[in-house]
Amino acid sequence: MNRLWSTLEPHIPFLLEGFYLTIAACLCAIVGSIVIGAAVASMKTARSPIPRAVAAVYTEIFRNVPFVVQLFFFFYGLPEIGIYIGAFQTGVIALSIAGGAFVADTIRAGILSIDKGIIEAAQAFGHGRWSIFTRIMLPIALRVSVRPMGSVLVNLVLTSSILSTITVNELTGNAKIVAAQTFKPFEIYAALLVLYASLTFTVAHVVSRVHRRLNRYLEAGAL
Amino acid sequence: MRYAEFTPYDLVLLAQGLGVTVGLFLVTSLLGILIGVALAVTHYYRVFLVHHLFTAIFELLKNSPVLVQLFLVFFGIPAFFQINLTPVWAAVITLSLNTAAFSYVIFKSGIESVDREQIESARVFGHSRAQILRLVIGPQAAAFSIGPLVGLLVNQLQVTSLISVIGVFDLTKIGAILNLRTLQPFIVWTVIGVLYYLCAKALTLIGNRIERRLRASVAWVGF
Repeated sequence: MNRLWSTLEPHIPFLLEGFYLTIAACLCAIVGSIVIGAAVASMKTARSPIPRAVAAVYTEIFRNVPFVVQLFFFFYGLPEIGIYIGAFQTGVIALSIAGGAFVADTIRAGILSIDKGIIEAAQAFGHGRWSIFTRIMLPIALRVSVRPMGSVLVNLVLTSSILSTITVNELTGNAKIVAAQTFKPFEIYAALLVLYASLTFTVAHVVSRVHRRLNRYLEAGAL
Repeated sequence: MRYAEFTPYDLVLLAQGLGVTVGLFLVTSLLGILIGVALAVTHYYRVFLVHHLFTAIFELLKNSPVLVQLFLVFFGIPAFFQINLTPVWAAVITLSLNTAAFSYVIFKSGIESVDREQIESARVFGHSRAQILRLVIGPQAAAFSIGPLVGLLVNQLQVTSLISVIGVFDLTKIGAILNLRTLQPFIVWTVIGVLYYLCAKALTLIGNRIERRLRASVAWVGF
């Protein structure tokens, strides 16, 4: 145990560097996928059929094609059409697009769960369609869908490890380097499992806190 | 001489890759479901400590990236236990355990979804615990869990694409090879994506048919 520690200890700052990059990528991708998800969800519940069809095709494709394939598509494809961005940016974009497809369905469920009476009341108060959507439907839908969105976001954090295949040196990528240098792959990857588990537990905890905070009016005895 | 164009032989390569992906998917799903069912049954019989132990292990597996698990098995286990492991075996072990971790929860809640009253009345009729499991709980739990199970399997099909990273020649690996040779990422990754998409759709269709049949024997049809 002691010998293991002395082999691993010099590499800890390097691993932490990767850990920070993972967190940065996850935070960007979480924001990105929620923005994309909300936009696509609004298209999915739109009245006219064209945005509905576009949104349906988008979620169908990005939910049913493996993330690795999507990532390679963007990583090798974007430079081909003259867009030169770094691997990290490519990874975040791919993560946001893939995550957005899953988030969209949870927000859509939230929108569909809204009581018709609420919308009618808003109409009676003279709200326009845009203001009903942004000020009344979206806040309620986001609030309802926080919990299902949480499991999607946990999945997103786990998926971020795949960015290591396109030369982004986040936690998994750096761990690969350390494993090759020290030749202690078992110990390092076992530690990595625990690190990722702690990260996802944190995300799940934050999500349930946010859920409780946003839904505090719905609790028994709140009114 | 460099072959930069697509050749007819590429189709054979693609078919091979598809075969490896589908084959490994079927094997690991079958193994995973078997392990999941076996553990759900031990949970039903309340075998001492077994399901607690596996719940803890599976919780770790569900909260860490499959990529890291693959690295742990493929690089870690041979280095730690001084044994040889081929990429295919590493993939089979990891993916089966991963499927087992998720399907265990599905089957467990399937068993728990059956009303206690049914079990009690079956006991009154003199059925043994094994008979209750086989005749009363089994069919209903199967109908209950087939829906989530199909969703899980569609997901696991996409997870198989990760095994290309440890050198299994599956569909994604073939895609990477063709991509590097022809340098036409858009065509290659679109074809690969379409193939995965078709597999996922076929799986969903088969799953829906099985679900309809299973539910037909459980749903109340009236007098």
